Amino acid sequence: MRFELLQPRSLAEALEMKKDYRERAKILAGGTDLLVLLKDGKLRAQAVMSLGRLSELNFIRSEGERGVAIGALVSHSDVAASRIIQQRCPDLAEACAQVGAAQIQNLGTLGGNLCNASPAADAAPPLLLMDALLTLASARGERRVAIHDFFLGPRRTVLEPDEILQEIFVPQPVGRRGATYLKLGRRKAMEIAIVGVGVAIHLNGSDRIVSECRIAMSSVAPTPLRARRGEAIFANQEIRDELIEEAAEVAAEEASPISDVRATRGYRLDMIRVLCRRAVREALARARNHKAEGWR
Amino acid sequence: MKIPVTLKVNGETYDLMIAPYRTLLDVLREEMRLTGSKKGCDAGDCGACTVLLDGKPVNACLVLAATAQDREILTIEGLARNGKLHPLQEAFVKEGAVQCGFCTPGILMSLKALLDTNPAPTLEEIKIAMAGNLCRCTGYSKMFKAVESLDRGM
Repeated sequence: MRFELLQPRSLAEALEMKKDYRERAKILAGGTDLLVLLKDGKLRAQAVMSLGRLSELNFIRSEGERGVAIGALVSHSDVAASRIIQQRCPDLAEACAQVGAAQIQNLGTLGGNLCNASPAADAAPPLLLMDALLTLASARGERRVAIHDFFLGPRRTVLEPDEILQEIFVPQPVGRRGATYLKLGRRKAMEIAIVGVGVAIHLNGSDRIVSECRIAMSSVAPTPLRARRGEAIFANQEIRDELIEEAAEVAAEEASPISDVRATRGYRLDMIRVLCRRAVREALARARNHKAEGWR
Repeated sequence: MKIPVTLKVNGETYDLMIAPYRTLLDVLREEMRLTGSKKGCDAGDCGACTVLLDGKPVNACLVLAATAQDREILTIEGLARNGKLHPLQEAFVKEGAVQCGFCTPGILMSLKALLDTNPAPTLEEIKIAMAGNLCRCTGYSKMFKAVESLDRGM
């Protein structure tokens, strides 16, 4: 592992450097993925650009009724401990608290989790459920990309060689909502998900009729993804066991898991069904408990 | 090419010339001869290299030394003060919570960070704080006991 180290002091300086170096400079946020890849020789870099000095990308900011803005460099432990995140996106707090263990959560960042583009990224399902928007910055300017369009495949995103992920914006969902993220591993910590499933349920007035259900999955396809056909089964329905069974079945059909060291394809398909059923029931319970006053 | 890096370790300032790609763990062990932090997996899996960076536990093998400039680094060598062991260390000795000892420095640093923010943790909280540290002698029970004995003593 040998490289030149770039340590810009501002985002503007970082973007100028990235314009010059393009793919020759790899971005270092927390380092929990990048340094492992570099040490293993799975990745080579002429230069590594550490963003550690860009405190301007380390913030969690409530934007009132619009939503929450999260800087790309916020650590998993700061996401998990944030009152704002716990209140507004409890499933995101849950997901970040399940990344590695304390040492990894203190180093790893939300932006790094997304840009690393692992199919198993824990932060992705909750953000997919919330239709998060990502601000990609370059010396040419900024653009906003829906998280649904961000991932292209394992370790591949739409980031251009001169771009840096700057901010994750989580729009405020409307009405009463409950959400959860369930991660399956052999143990509760230090795991890459065998399967991850997040579910969000929106209730419309009554405690019974679901106005919308959203399902997101990780570790079951080349990218984290939504199970849109499984979601549609609940639209404007009262949740019943048969519907939960059917949605879990359809969600598994939408996945395309592989067999690898962590699990076989067949096991993953079974576990999607199990986690899906559990997550729907938990999200429903949370939605029913959610007071309708909205966010402040 | 080497670059100048100033590190603050256990309250002391070190001015070093190091290659920019070296990890904090390697610099601690090889440049400063602070070999208490252990190199187990060198990939962030085992926790044997755990040090506190601005008070928070991190894997020193996943931090580039040059990026730790101007931050407070605490290693196992800084846990005892004026020749007196930290209460956690005392408790480990008293409970016999050490077998081969390789994981011990990392585990003590994880637990020190826990106790700094949560002086009376539950068993579950102790387990969560230690989840990133592997003990291949599997001697966890006595470590839990050691922390719990400390709570009662305090």
